[in-house]
Amino acid sequence: MRVFSRLAMCVILVSVMLAGCAQQATPPEPGPGPEPVTTPAFKIGILTGTVSQGEDEYRAAEQVKAKYGDRIVHVTYPDNFMQEQETTISQLTGLAADPDVKAIVVCQAVPGTAAAIDKIREDRPDLPFIVVVPHEDVKMMEGKADLMFETNNLERGNTIVQLAKDMGATHFLHYSFPRHMAMELLAARRTMMEEKCQELGIEFVFVTAPDPTGPDGIPGAQRFILEDVPRQVAQLGKDICVFSTNCGMQDPLIKAALQEGAIFAEQCCPSPTHGYPNALGLDVQGIAGDMPKILQAIEEKVVAEGGAGRFASWPVPINMVFLRAGVELAMKAVEGEIELTDEAAIKAALEAEAGVPMTLTKYSPEGNFWLAVMDSVIFGKK
Amino acid sequence: MEAKPKRSLRLFIRDNGVPIMFLALCGLGVVASGKPLGFLLQETIGRMARNSFIVLSLVVPIVAGLGLNFAIVLGAMAGQAGLIAVAEAKVTGLAGIFTAIAVSFPLALLLGWGAGSIMNKAKGREMIAGMILGFFMNGVYMLVFLFGAGTILPIKDPKMILPQGYGLRNTVDLQVIKWALDNLLKVRLGPVSLPLATFAATALLTWGISKLFSTKLGQDMRAAGQDMRIAEVAGIQVDRTRMVAMLISTVLAAIGQILFLQNIGTLNVYDSHGQTGTFAIAALLVGGATVTKATVGQALLGTFMFHLLFIVSPYAGQNLLGSAMVGEYFRAFVAYAVIAFSLALHSLQRGKMAIRR
Repeated sequence: MRVFSRLAMCVILVSVMLAGCAQQATPPEPGPGPEPVTTPAFKIGILTGTVSQGEDEYRAAEQVKAKYGDRIVHVTYPDNFMQEQETTISQLTGLAADPDVKAIVVCQAVPGTAAAIDKIREDRPDLPFIVVVPHEDVKMMEGKADLMFETNNLERGNTIVQLAKDMGATHFLHYSFPRHMAMELLAARRTMMEEKCQELGIEFVFVTAPDPTGPDGIPGAQRFILEDVPRQVAQLGKDICVFSTNCGMQDPLIKAALQEGAIFAEQCCPSPTHGYPNALGLDVQGIAGDMPKILQAIEEKVVAEGGAGRFASWPVPINMVFLRAGVELAMKAVEGEIELTDEAAIKAALEAEAGVPMTLTKYSPEGNFWLAVMDSVIFGKK
Repeated sequence: MEAKPKRSLRLFIRDNGVPIMFLALCGLGVVASGKPLGFLLQETIGRMARNSFIVLSLVVPIVAGLGLNFAIVLGAMAGQAGLIAVAEAKVTGLAGIFTAIAVSFPLALLLGWGAGSIMNKAKGREMIAGMILGFFMNGVYMLVFLFGAGTILPIKDPKMILPQGYGLRNTVDLQVIKWALDNLLKVRLGPVSLPLATFAATALLTWGISKLFSTKLGQDMRAAGQDMRIAEVAGIQVDRTRMVAMLISTVLAAIGQILFLQNIGTLNVYDSHGQTGTFAIAALLVGGATVTKATVGQALLGTFMFHLLFIVSPYAGQNLLGSAMVGEYFRAFVAYAVIAFSLALHSLQRGKMAIRR
């Protein structure tokens, strides 16, 4: 029983420390005092990954924090989020423990989010949750979150081919490898691309590239792309739009397409920062996270190398748009200006952040889960 | 009453270096986190209720000389299989929990028997054998639920099966048994609500383990744990004793995982068990247990401190260093550094003791 007494002693000691610090810690917090705080009347909680898990989201959260200051409480989920769900849960419950936090935006919603929402709703049933990129089962999450966003990756099978056509492509070249083609979504999108090509009178070409997780690694896959694009252009002509399902292949793909005069409609994960800076040798120092400036720098370089009107991307990483628009929507909803189910308000908020039109599709009619595709910017297009 | 030798403060600190250091870190973290007392207590109590049972399942194999049982992952898998069955059959509430335990029990026995047989063949290397066994069984588990569910296993619920017709979705909603035990007897004390029924289950286990060690079997375990050769000479069936310890540990881990997940409320089919082994072991070490010595008190104390530190360290990092992201790195750094430190300290102490002998 000696261990129990020791345990009890330690618990008491920590509790005393807790009590001591709680008294010290209360004054700096504008928390639940007896008198209502003047302005800001409420806060919005944000949970994102760190830069090593998703830089776009983290930078977007920094941007809204810079804009709204103390009205934003920003915390992160663990890098090792699959193994440390309990930390994700306690980070979210920690946000909700502050009664001034009136809405929570989660981007990306890693496992643990569903459990945390349930737990928080026990005490605060009305706290709205805006969930971006749900990792847990979508059907289940739909019943828990108030508003959800995700990229409509399947629909991109149509939009990418259409964009290629608009930029003058006669051939569409799809690089991938068996591991990716065994993924339901990627395989379905490939089929969609093939059908869309047929509809538009474009010839669809599929080339199997080495798997970057294979023996040659990413360098092997990149070397293949650098060598294969010139071959294909020589064979099929310059009006060929190149596309790959793999992130590591985007740099060499853009580089080779620019050198050979081919067309490049969209990356696997569309964003100005994906592939372009490396392929063009851009120095983004000082403009990191500033999308208009990055776009301008890319445009200058693409035009200088003769690729005007043949290279495109989405103007802003879509998760950045989701997060920033999510915060704006949350604020308006808390202030009572809008409902989170208001389609027009959602579309307006997303487009205001993206700066280009967006196409929204509802995942299921009864839920509030929106799949979005953004319009592209074509570099050097007059 | 045994006569207590007079121990100097220095000796006390040396013998309890890890818990003392952790206590100090917890204290500092709590102060730096700036979070209100109610929130921290509520979170810690929630995590204690979730995790204590699994951590306690590690005590028996340590006493029986099997070291830190990394193979409790197997028990966790059995527990999850039980939960999947319950989610499919829609057995709600406490009945659901008992059904899950009933389904996982034979599985846990089978897996525990397999693990025990391997441990008996890998004497002296039990920990690494257990860890690798966990990885191997993870592969089998994936195979069963990715391809067997919906084909061999009669799982029909479209909410659980992938659209392709076989394979489980990556999350299974455990709404049917969610908080079934926690809410059975919940008492609210100011800002903190206590799931008394869950704590009662833990207390029952604590009592059971203490009782076990006073039986013949428990004494045999102790003897086998101290020196297998001498135990054998004394007529103890060492292999059998070790096997029983593994079986107990695996079954307890299965129940522990069921209790853990009834609190979380969603099962991440392919990942939930991944976190059980390492964190439970870390919590036990933090309480001052070693590879050769563990008590129920150390398990509970360790669970309390380990999880308290995990709760406060991101806030402490954020407050001290002013960035949400650095807070996360600070947490990972502190938590894992302390685990590494406790392992290093343990081997240092063992080395010193060997020299003294």
